[in-house]
Amino acid sequence: MIQVSNLKKQYKEAVVLDVDHLEIPNTECFGLVGNNGAGKTTLFRIMLDLVRATSGTVKIKEEDVSKSETWKAKTGAYLDEHMLLVYLTPDEYFETLRKIYSMSVADLELHLSKFSDLFNDEILGKKKYIRDLSKGNLKKVGIAAALLGNPEVVFLDEPFENLDPSSQIRLKKFILQEKENSKVTFLISSHDLNHVTDICDRIVLLEKGKIIRDLREKSEMMTELEAYFTG
Amino acid sequence: MFFELIRLQFLKSVRSTSFAKSLLTNILLGFLVIVLLGYVLGAGLFLKMIIGELAKGQDPLVVLNSYLIYYFLFEFMYRYFIQKLPVVELESLLHLPIGKARIMHILLLRSFISPLSIISLLLFLPFSIDVVASQFGGIAASFWLGSIILTSWTLHWFMLWFKQRFEDGIIGLIVVFAALLLGGGSSYVGWFNLGEIMKPVFDFAISSPIPVAVLALVNVGSYWLCFRYYHSNAYLEDLSEEEDIRFVNQSIGFFSRFGLAGELANLEWKLIIRHKKSRTILMLSGFFLLYGLIFYRNPAYQTDDGSIHALFIFVGVFITGIFMIQYGQQFLSWNSANFDFFLNRKDGIEALVKGKYLLLSSISVVCFLASVPYSFFGWQFLFIHFATFLFNVGILIHVIIYFALWKPKPMDLNKGAMFNYEGIGAAQFLIIIPMMAGPYIIYLPFSMLIGDYAGLMALGIFGIIGLLGFKKLAQINIDRIKSNRYEISSSFRQEL
Repeated sequence: MIQVSNLKKQYKEAVVLDVDHLEIPNTECFGLVGNNGAGKTTLFRIMLDLVRATSGTVKIKEEDVSKSETWKAKTGAYLDEHMLLVYLTPDEYFETLRKIYSMSVADLELHLSKFSDLFNDEILGKKKYIRDLSKGNLKKVGIAAALLGNPEVVFLDEPFENLDPSSQIRLKKFILQEKENSKVTFLISSHDLNHVTDICDRIVLLEKGKIIRDLREKSEMMTELEAYFTG
Repeated sequence: MFFELIRLQFLKSVRSTSFAKSLLTNILLGFLVIVLLGYVLGAGLFLKMIIGELAKGQDPLVVLNSYLIYYFLFEFMYRYFIQKLPVVELESLLHLPIGKARIMHILLLRSFISPLSIISLLLFLPFSIDVVASQFGGIAASFWLGSIILTSWTLHWFMLWFKQRFEDGIIGLIVVFAALLLGGGSSYVGWFNLGEIMKPVFDFAISSPIPVAVLALVNVGSYWLCFRYYHSNAYLEDLSEEEDIRFVNQSIGFFSRFGLAGELANLEWKLIIRHKKSRTILMLSGFFLLYGLIFYRNPAYQTDDGSIHALFIFVGVFITGIFMIQYGQQFLSWNSANFDFFLNRKDGIEALVKGKYLLLSSISVVCFLASVPYSFFGWQFLFIHFATFLFNVGILIHVIIYFALWKPKPMDLNKGAMFNYEGIGAAQFLIIIPMMAGPYIIYLPFSMLIGDYAGLMALGIFGIIGLLGFKKLAQINIDRIKSNRYEISSSFRQEL
């Protein structure tokens, strides 16, 4: 699904990202962990063609992300609130997305109904702009938007941050469900080791822009990660 | 404590990201303020001569007194647009054990330290010494000057209250328009002469201390009104400007015919009416429609043979294109907070740009239609507006956008538009050159060689050619954004 090769990002002298090779197969749930400044968000941004790579390529479905745009139709992402139109209400935002993805009203309703638990009646039908929502609700809107339009790949940056515990559990369930039913490939970065090890098939650990662990064994993940982070 | 708060205010302004980045702009602005104040002082020094020139043979003081009320109406207008509210800085202080009243006093007094507060002093001090003191003595002059300055300062406090209470509301707009109407309209149309009605008050101020004493009380009263209002509203919920959805169904149906680009034009429209900065610009475009009144009726530009004064071309470009010019200058900066959204959609950039084209052109059409009544002054104005309108939507729009795409900067749309230089860089100043020169490069050769109407024809034809080549021209700008997308999006995320 996604191939990264010889990827490098450099700001003047400082190399912030240096990934020789990374391949993410279809329907994998890919977890990305690492301390602050390890390059997680930068990697996601380069993968989404939001930041230019100094060298190297990222391919989604065999397409170089910096050369074409067709991959965008099947890619959903929520990294931060820059990806939302914060001056709309959530309803208007989803309505706009519906038109952009040329979905029917019924499709949108079906999609949003999947989120009714997560939204907890605090998002839809409220006369409130997105910019006035709480951080947690903002995140919920972003996640629901990222999953709109039947994407095959979904990027989520810190999806559990700012969510209340029951929403975290619901979101986890939801991601597992989507992976099962719709064959979505998830790329998730998180600081919450419990959650990522729970849902991800594979976890990659970044340190100073380099991949230093690539864990695929569920049983070993937690111990390995704990060992690394306790230092 | 007092000085600590002042120090915090100072640090806040020095350390703000925009300060360091736009230091040069700040210096330029400071310089501009000094120059403008210098002009005001100059006007003050020559006030007697100016009045003598305009109203020959009359006592300058009598004339001035009868026009002072218009000065204050004018002051009301410019204060409404320029004066800033101090409230936004509150959020970081309110949770500390300082005492609301003290914070409020400091914020209000700080707002008073502004060039606006000395304009009336600079303007009328020379006159009061030169004319009033020489005729009636120093004490009378200080009474007279005192009542003028106190009126001006009362306006300051009043405006702080007024803007906080009514800004963006329909009432505020009505009051401002009413002030404009009263000031200019009433005596022009001849209902009543406001100047003559208010004249005795200022005459009285020369001979008696009562007006100055009353005005001092009014000044204190207005400060108190202002203070009370701010004090009782010093809560985060009142300050955060969380808005209700006031414009419920304000999509413009017409746009939906244009597919995705139309959808994004609709989005852009919502962006405009839901943010303070863009709303102000939209409102200003309405005001600029009246721009023609200054020039078209002015005898200095009238010609007997029906030919067209060259200046009118510029006026026409402005009237039909003011929104395009002002809004287009910061073409992408308007979307700086959510640029990633568009980058992350398939054909998002293309649709965004086309949507903006659609919106700007549509507003230009509206401006053109609204300017049709100028043909009451003569049919040539209709032709001028039509030719400049075609030129605007055919050519100028591309030129403005092309320049605006040169290093776009992020900006916060929730701040007011007046004297807010966020998102302004060298490119925004450079745009003025093609904007001023462009129409004339086409118009002048034809109007000189053949005739004024041939010049207008040429403008119109060039505009139509531009419209026919819209796809190609728009593509240039779209490609520019696409090839610079990394720089633009990272500067919008303020990584640089």
